[in-house]
Amino acid sequence: MSCPEWRDRINAYVDAELPPSDMAAFRAHAEQCAACAAGALALTESKLAVRRAGNRYTASAELRARMLSAAQGQDLAEAKAEPARIEPEKHWTGLERFTSGMWPRWALAAAALLLITVGLFVANRRQESKTLAEFADLHVAALASANPVEVISTDRHTVKPWFQGRIPFTFDLPELQGSPFSLLGGRVAYFHQEPAAHLIFQYQRHLISVFIFRETSQIALPASVADQTSSFRLRTWTQGGLRYVVIGDASDGTIQQLAGLLHFTQ
Amino acid sequence: MPLFDSLYNFARWLTRDESEAEDLVQECFAKALRGFSSFTPGTDFRAWMFRILRNTFLTSRTGLRAKLTQSLEEDEAEGESVAVTWETPESFALASATRDALQAALERLPAEYREVILLCDVEEMKYKDIAEVLSVPIGTVMSRIARGRKLLRQALAGERKQSPASAGKVDER
Repeated sequence: MSCPEWRDRINAYVDAELPPSDMAAFRAHAEQCAACAAGALALTESKLAVRRAGNRYTASAELRARMLSAAQGQDLAEAKAEPARIEPEKHWTGLERFTSGMWPRWALAAAALLLITVGLFVANRRQESKTLAEFADLHVAALASANPVEVISTDRHTVKPWFQGRIPFTFDLPELQGSPFSLLGGRVAYFHQEPAAHLIFQYQRHLISVFIFRETSQIALPASVADQTSSFRLRTWTQGGLRYVVIGDASDGTIQQLAGLLHFTQ
Repeated sequence: MPLFDSLYNFARWLTRDESEAEDLVQECFAKALRGFSSFTPGTDFRAWMFRILRNTFLTSRTGLRAKLTQSLEEDEAEGESVAVTWETPESFALASATRDALQAALERLPAEYREVILLCDVEEMKYKDIAEVLSVPIGTVMSRIARGRKLLRQALAGERKQSPASAGKVDER
């Protein structure tokens, strides 16, 4: 598929709405094409910005309490409930219509609570794979771009000072001599509008990205995630107020090893 | 109460009024409860709730008024390319926009684009669920998303050109 054809489908890619084979094909294309990779990255970042801006309103504590007690009220009503009456709908008052009908009262009580409180698990799961995809996108887009790193150096004493003034925190880099990893360099990336140090390491022929940023809002991610479709693996932890994310297509053990090196240097 | 929070946020964007949004959410839950048996297991529950909320809004006074003044821009835009243009600062204007600027731009967006973008980006709904909420074909969802994002980018890029104070930020990139 050519660039113009991909560009028509880039929104669907960013929304993870392409069929899995096309998702993989776009990733492969983006690894070769800096323009499409940059485009996908810009759109991904835009999507994140819109998500943050769109989550604008919070219900008042009063409304929240009212809704919950209404739902629990269903429960109380159930204790004193008469059997549901079967009458033509037109004779029902609003409240009766609310609490009777085809469903027994206990089921309505359960439904009321479910209606108001359901979705947490689903929402979290979605968030988790989304966050992995965001880091995978940053990783792939950087590797595909014409200048994957802004400071090209294998020397940690060059890379670390380069970040001074570019990011609002500091961190330490591990001594890699004797380890199977080498440092290729670094760049500044943005995650949820927060500047992040993006370091690129090499392990054999695999490139691994490390992102370090201040965690201003908690990100929903377990310590270790593997994405079945893209084969990326991720390790993450927080340390000294900073969030560390290690992501790459190397084996889980390798990612873990690099994560360990970084962890014990801080 | 994540579903409640999402519905309330969406209701505020629709009504742009706190007490109207509160009424809307309460009515939505009451309707959902009454019609719980009409929910088809296996379909997306959130989409079902958002659909009830939006339909309730559309039959409210504010909703009816909004419907009457809805723009015809979508028809006019047919055939126009919505492909992302990368090599311009426009494509980055959105990512680096401040939250306030982005909220203002979202507010100015025609309602049919705003709702689709909120459902897709904020609620992270799948296209097929958005189609269900809005009762439109999936192709319409896709074209509205593409065009809505383009309009947002243009609005923010235009704003940057006009405001020299924030222009420096783009150049630093």
